[in-house]
Amino acid sequence: MKNNDKISISAALTAATCTLLGTTALQPVQAQEDPGWDFNTSLLYYGEDNDRIQDLSLKTLSRRTFVDDRILSLGLTIDALTGATPNGALPQSFPQTFTKPSGKNTFTTPPGEFPIDDSFRDTRVAISANWDQPLGRLYAMNVGVSASAEFDYLHLGLNAKLSRDFNNRNTTLSGGFAFASDQLDPVGGIPDPLTQMRNVRDDDDDGNSGRSSTDTKEILDLVLGVTQVMSRNFLMQFNYSYSDSSGYLSDPYKILTAIDANGDAIFLPQVPGVEGPSHLNYYEHRPDSRSKHSLYAQGKYYMSGKVLDASYRYMTDDWEIDSHTVDLRLRWPIGDTSYLEPHLRFYTQTAAEFYQISLNGLNDGEPLPEYASADYRLGDFDALTAGLKFGWKTGGGNDMSVRLELYSQSGNVSSSDLIGSQADRDVYPDMDAIIFQYSYQFGK
Amino acid sequence: MIISRFVAVLLAFGVLSGCSSMGVEPWERDILAKEEMQLTTDAIEAATDDHIYFSKEASSGGRGFGGGGCGCN
Repeated sequence: MKNNDKISISAALTAATCTLLGTTALQPVQAQEDPGWDFNTSLLYYGEDNDRIQDLSLKTLSRRTFVDDRILSLGLTIDALTGATPNGALPQSFPQTFTKPSGKNTFTTPPGEFPIDDSFRDTRVAISANWDQPLGRLYAMNVGVSASAEFDYLHLGLNAKLSRDFNNRNTTLSGGFAFASDQLDPVGGIPDPLTQMRNVRDDDDDGNSGRSSTDTKEILDLVLGVTQVMSRNFLMQFNYSYSDSSGYLSDPYKILTAIDANGDAIFLPQVPGVEGPSHLNYYEHRPDSRSKHSLYAQGKYYMSGKVLDASYRYMTDDWEIDSHTVDLRLRWPIGDTSYLEPHLRFYTQTAAEFYQISLNGLNDGEPLPEYASADYRLGDFDALTAGLKFGWKTGGGNDMSVRLELYSQSGNVSSSDLIGSQADRDVYPDMDAIIFQYSYQFGK
Repeated sequence: MIISRFVAVLLAFGVLSGCSSMGVEPWERDILAKEEMQLTTDAIEAATDDHIYFSKEASSGGRGFGGGGCGCN
């Protein structure tokens, strides 16, 4: 006799006995995961063109499942970053020299190129711990802490989420918050906002370095969500998120080029023996608070083995940035043990109200604005991601996948915002990047 | 304050009662229980994407918390 037959006969006997005795056999309320560890690991390469940022990242997510569906998740990320990012200054038809953030030396950018400081190196280590716990039959909670450290940045955060099932577990309402307290300790200190880039080792005769050493910011996030089973093969989620940031929200390494009426950078008279910027630049300044609202909808639809994952996000904030994001993935099984997953993502955003490609009119006596930034991430741009993922089960039953994606950003600067010679040169640093990720999940 | 609470309760009730006609019976969850039908199928890939786009764009969050934890933005 086979084992299965033994089990089914014993189950039938138990049911018959319970029926005779007028009792009900105890059944688990819901399926439970087997206790034990499982691991999700990945190696990521992210590389931008034109010698910009390169990141090699190792990530692991280790999960320990306990009885009663309690789960401990431990995350570790190590990023090794090199390369450079545009500092906000504009290309010119002549070479430009800038003081490095450290204030100890300079670098020179050839004509026609976006100024980037290529001495950037950083290592980032991030850790997280989360605890999932059912509360009774219908509630579940998740609490977690996170921390990350870079050479010039420290992050500490905590988060909590509570959810409740309704309608035969077809509807789940959830609410959560996250709080982060971050500290910046940039190389060379934090420059006073909208002050001129200093000469090398310039502490001013009055002893004022024009810099402070560290600053902080706090971020509070709230998320309310509904997950709804629409049908046997269709699931949807809707989220509303609110995010409030306060504190030092500028980028201490970003500057703006001051231009003359012809659209060219303003030349600074050079003092013999003094090393410093060749042209007039100012450090940026952003407001010290920001409120964001997001609406997010995601649908998962199963079509005879294939799964369509589509999401849309709308974000608006009080810096007057509006963005739309559409993300589409189609998981296409190949045989029983592997799949292909094409991915497309469209993103568009409007510029922050204080975004400007340069500081204009200072030569003609116009005052400095209260806030200004030329950070390309606050400009008006579109982005497209196109990628393909291939996943398969290994002989041992574990999951492996590789994915290759291309990410491309393209800025939109209105010709009416260009002054004089700016029309002849690039004013937005478009970017193409490659994302390659190898993942391995085991222990399930 | 009282009005906004009332509206919130009304909305929650509306959502719940509206949704109660949708959904499936417990024995119809075979497809929904599949790994590829979970809202987040690959937690590490999702975290990677969130971090990349947080660093390169002015928006973040939506799916989850907007976060911070990086000097890159």
